[in-house]
Amino acid sequence: MKSLAELDKLRDKLQQEMKARQGEHDVSIAVSMGTCGIAAGAREVVKVLLNELREQGLSDVALTQTSCVGLCRQEPLLEVKMGDEKVIYVNVDQEKAKEIVKRHLVKGEIITEWTVS
Amino acid sequence: MEDLSQHLLDLSFNSLAAGCTDLQICIREDLKSNILEFIVRDNGHGIDQEDIEKVLDPFFTTKENARVGLGISLLKEAVERCGGIFKIDSLPRIGTCVQAGFPRDHMDRAPLGDMTGTIISLITAGGDMEMVYHHEFNRKQFYFSTEELKLSLEGISIQTTAVLVWLEEYLSKEIKALRRGKDEKFGRAG
Repeated sequence: MKSLAELDKLRDKLQQEMKARQGEHDVSIAVSMGTCGIAAGAREVVKVLLNELREQGLSDVALTQTSCVGLCRQEPLLEVKMGDEKVIYVNVDQEKAKEIVKRHLVKGEIITEWTVS
Repeated sequence: MEDLSQHLLDLSFNSLAAGCTDLQICIREDLKSNILEFIVRDNGHGIDQEDIEKVLDPFFTTKENARVGLGISLLKEAVERCGGIFKIDSLPRIGTCVQAGFPRDHMDRAPLGDMTGTIISLITAGGDMEMVYHHEFNRKQFYFSTEELKLSLEGISIQTTAVLVWLEEYLSKEIKALRRGKDEKFGRAG
C-alpha cells in the first residue's frame, strides 16, 4: 500500500543515497509531448520509462519532455542524450521504450533501426 | 485524443509553454446532476484579446515552428459532440482559464482516462511549476498539491525516479478509491 507514511521512509532513504552520490545528470531521456505526441501515446511511454528506470536501478537518469519537433507523423518520439551524443528514436511504443532503457541506457548500445538520422 | 485526461495534459502543456508557475486542475463529477466538468487555470502570459477567438481555429498557432494548433479545437470538438459547454477566458499577463463541461452519461463523452499519467507527465516536464489537483466525485474530494509534496520531501527533487514511482502508485490508488463504487447506488436498485 502506498501511503504518506511510506513517503517519509522513501525520503530518508533518498537522502542517504544523495550523500553517497554527487554530481549532475549526464544522461537524460526526453519524451516529445506536443498535441501530436500526447495523442500518439507519449504519456504511456513516460510511465513505462519511469518504471523501467527504477527496475534497472538507473536513478541518475533525468526524465524530461520536449514539445513538438515537427515529426508528428513519427510520434511518440524519444530523445536520449548521453554526454554530447544525442539519439532520437521514433514510433516508440511501450515495448520499444523498455528495450531502449535495457539496451541503450544499460548496455550503451544504440538501436539504430528505430532511430532517425 | 482518446480520453479527457489527454486533453487535460495537452491544455496543461499549453500553460507550461505560456510560462505558468501555478497550475490548477479541477475536476468535478456528479452522477445525480449528470455532470463531468473540468477547469484548467494557469498564471501564464495569457492570450491577447484579438487571438482568443482564433485559438479555436485548428490552423491558428502563435508558435514559431508550428503551422497548426490542434489542441484546443480538438477539445472543443469533443465537448460539442455531446452537447456540453466549452469556455476559454484569458487576460494577458494574468493567465488563462479553460473550462469544459459534459453531460456525464452521454454516449459520446470520452472517458476521463488516466489522470495519474497526466499528473506524472506534467511533473517530469515542469519541476519548478506548482500544481494543485482537485477532484470531486459525488461530493467526495481528493486534493493533491506539488507544493505540499515538495515540503515533505525536504529538498529531495520531486523529479527523482523513486519519488515519481511512489507518486504514481499513490495517486492511482487515491483516485481509484475516490471514484470507486460509482455505480453502487444504481446497481443496488431493487
